[in-house]
Amino acid sequence: MSEHSPISARTAHLIGRITAIIFLVLALAYGFGGSVIEYAFSSDPLGPRVFPIGLAVILGLLAVLYFFSPGSAEGFPKGALLARVLGIPALLVFSVLLFEPLGFVVSIFVMTFGTALIFEAPVKKALLGAIGHAALWWFVFGFALEVYLPTGSLFGG
Amino acid sequence: MSLDYLWHGFAVALTWQNLLIGFIGCFIGTLVGALPAIGPINGIALLMPIAYTMGLPAESTMILLAAVYCGAEYGGRISSILLNVPGDAGAVMTAMDGYPMAKQGRAGEALALSGISSFVGGILGTLGLALFAPVLSGLAIGFGPAEYFVLMVFAFATLGSMVGSQPAKTLIGCTLGLMLATVGLDATSGAYRFTFAEPELGDGIEFVVLVIGLFSVSEAMIILENQGQGITVIRELGRMTARWSDIVKTFGATIRGSLIGFVVGVLPGTGASVSSAVSYTTEKRISDTEGTFGKGDVRGLAAPEAANNATAAGAFVPMLTLGVPGSGTTAVMLGALMLYNIQPGPMLLAERPEVVGGLIASLFVGNVILLALNLPLVNIFARVLTVPNWMLVPGMLVLSVIGVYSTHASVFSIFLMLGIGFTGWLLRKAGFDMAPIILGFVLGRVMEVNLRNALAISGGDPSILFESTISIVLWCMAIGVAFLPWFLARRSKKKMAALLAKEN
Repeated sequence: MSEHSPISARTAHLIGRITAIIFLVLALAYGFGGSVIEYAFSSDPLGPRVFPIGLAVILGLLAVLYFFSPGSAEGFPKGALLARVLGIPALLVFSVLLFEPLGFVVSIFVMTFGTALIFEAPVKKALLGAIGHAALWWFVFGFALEVYLPTGSLFGG
Repeated sequence: MSLDYLWHGFAVALTWQNLLIGFIGCFIGTLVGALPAIGPINGIALLMPIAYTMGLPAESTMILLAAVYCGAEYGGRISSILLNVPGDAGAVMTAMDGYPMAKQGRAGEALALSGISSFVGGILGTLGLALFAPVLSGLAIGFGPAEYFVLMVFAFATLGSMVGSQPAKTLIGCTLGLMLATVGLDATSGAYRFTFAEPELGDGIEFVVLVIGLFSVSEAMIILENQGQGITVIRELGRMTARWSDIVKTFGATIRGSLIGFVVGVLPGTGASVSSAVSYTTEKRISDTEGTFGKGDVRGLAAPEAANNATAAGAFVPMLTLGVPGSGTTAVMLGALMLYNIQPGPMLLAERPEVVGGLIASLFVGNVILLALNLPLVNIFARVLTVPNWMLVPGMLVLSVIGVYSTHASVFSIFLMLGIGFTGWLLRKAGFDMAPIILGFVLGRVMEVNLRNALAISGGDPSILFESTISIVLWCMAIGVAFLPWFLARRSKKKMAALLAKEN
C-alpha cells in the first residue's frame, strides 16, 4: 500500500465516527461553557447565554446524525509522508518561537529553509532560497512598506 | 432604477491608483489561478491583511481582491488545459475538453478561446450584477432584525442542501464557524465569552487569523501530501489565436454558460464548481449530437469557462446587497469589508456607493485587463506551472505570518493561526470543507445581533420571527431548500423501484 492511497469505506466510517464523538464532546463542553457565562445585566431579553447554548444543541444533534451516517473521508497519510506533513506545523511553531527573541530575518530563514527541505529541495538550493526569502520579505515589508517586524530582543531590538 | 452609483464607481475605478491596483490584482489573480496548489480564496486570504496594513482605502482593497478573484477564475483554465489538473475548483470541467485539445496540439487555441469565453462570461455576469444589485438592495431595505435573522437561516439551509454531498458536514462546518464567532466580549451585556481569561481573545478571534489558518497553513500540508503525483506539462502550445469559426460555433454555449453561471453565483453557498458542472452537462445535452464532448469539443471548453467567470460576478450580488456571501471567496471579502468597519447589507449601496460602484466598475475594467493580459501573455503564465513547490510554499507561509502579525503585532495571533490551521487540516482529512466555517464565522455575529435585537423589539416574544410576509416567505424557502434534496432523492428512489418492478 502506498503512503497516499485511497482509504476503505470502513476506515472512512471509523474516522467519521471518531470525529462525530469529538464534536459531541465539543458540543457538551461549549454548551456547559455557555450556560455558566457570567454577566450582571443585559439590555436584551435573550442575554449572552442562549445563542451559544442553542448552537451547542444544534452541534450535538448534527454530531449524532453524522455518527450514524459518517460518509466519506480523505484519510491520513502514512509513514514518512505523515512525518513530513506533521513537520510543517512543528517547524512553524519552532520558527515562530524565534520570532521575537531572534527577529524576523532569522525566524523566516529557519522557516523557509526547513520548509524547502521538507518539500525535498536540494540543500544548496534550499539555503539560497531561504536567504532570498528572508532578504526579499524584509525588504518589501520591513523597509518599503514600513510594516513593523521584530528585529530580535537578543540583538537589542 | 438609478445607475448613478455605477458612473460614480467608474470615476473611482478609473483613477490611476485604482487602475494600477486592478492591474496588479489581475496579474496576481491569474498566477494564483494558474497554480494548481492554490486557489482564489488562498490568494485573497493572503493579500487581505497586507492591503489593510498598507493603508489602502476600502474601495481600493475591494478592487484589489475582486481583481484577484476574477483573475484566478481566468488563470484556473491554464493548468486545466496544460496539466489536466484544475487550477481552482471552477476550472474542473474546463479540463474535460481543454486537455484533449492540448493533446491534439491545439493548446494555444484552447487557451485563447477559453480566454474569450471567460471575458464574455465575466462581462455578462458583471452586467447582471450592476442591474440586480440596486433592485435587490431596494427590496432588502424593508428588512428588519427579524427578517435578517431568517435570511441567515435561509442562507445556511441553502448551504446545507447545495454544498457537497454531505449536508451534515456542511452544517457542522457552519455551526463551528458560528461558535467561533461567539468568542470574545459580548457588546450587549459586557460579558466575556469563551476567552479562557486570555486578554488577546477579548476582541474575539480575528477574521484574518481564522482565514489564513484555514486556507494557508492547512493548504501547505495538503500540497505536500499531493506533491509529485506524476503530472506533466504540455509544452507545445501551437497556434496562439482562436479561430473565427470556433468563436462563432461557441457563441450559444458561451451565452448559455454565462447565464447559468450568473444565476448559480447569486444563490448563497454555490460556487464556480457547481456552475461549471451544470453548464457543461447542460451544453452536452443540448449540443453533443455527435458524441464529441470530452474529446476536444470547443463548446465543452467555452461553456464552463464562461460559467465560472459569470459566477464570480454573480456571487457578489447577495454579498453586496444582503450581506450574505454567495461563495467562500466572497465570504472572505465580506470579512475584508468588516476590517474597515463597513457593515455589508442593503444600506451599503446607499451609504458607501464608492465601494459598491467602484467594485462593480472595476470588474468591467478588470475583465478588459484580464483579456488583454491573458491572450498575449499566456506563455508567461504557463511558465508559472514549472515553479517548484519548495519555492512557492515557503513564500506562502511567510506571507501568512506577516499577514497575521501585521494586524496586531502579536505572536499569540500567529500561534492561534497555526492551531486553527492544524485543526483545519484534520477536518479536511475527515472530509470537511473549509468554506462553511468561514461563512458561519462571518454571519455569526450578525445573526446573533439580529436575533437579539428582534427579541428586544418584541419584548422576548419569538413570534416576531414569523410575523412579516418577508419572514414567512424566507422560512418557507428555507424549509423548501432544506428538504428539496431529500424529496428529490426519495422520488428518484421510487422511480427506480418502479422501473425495476416493471423489468421483473
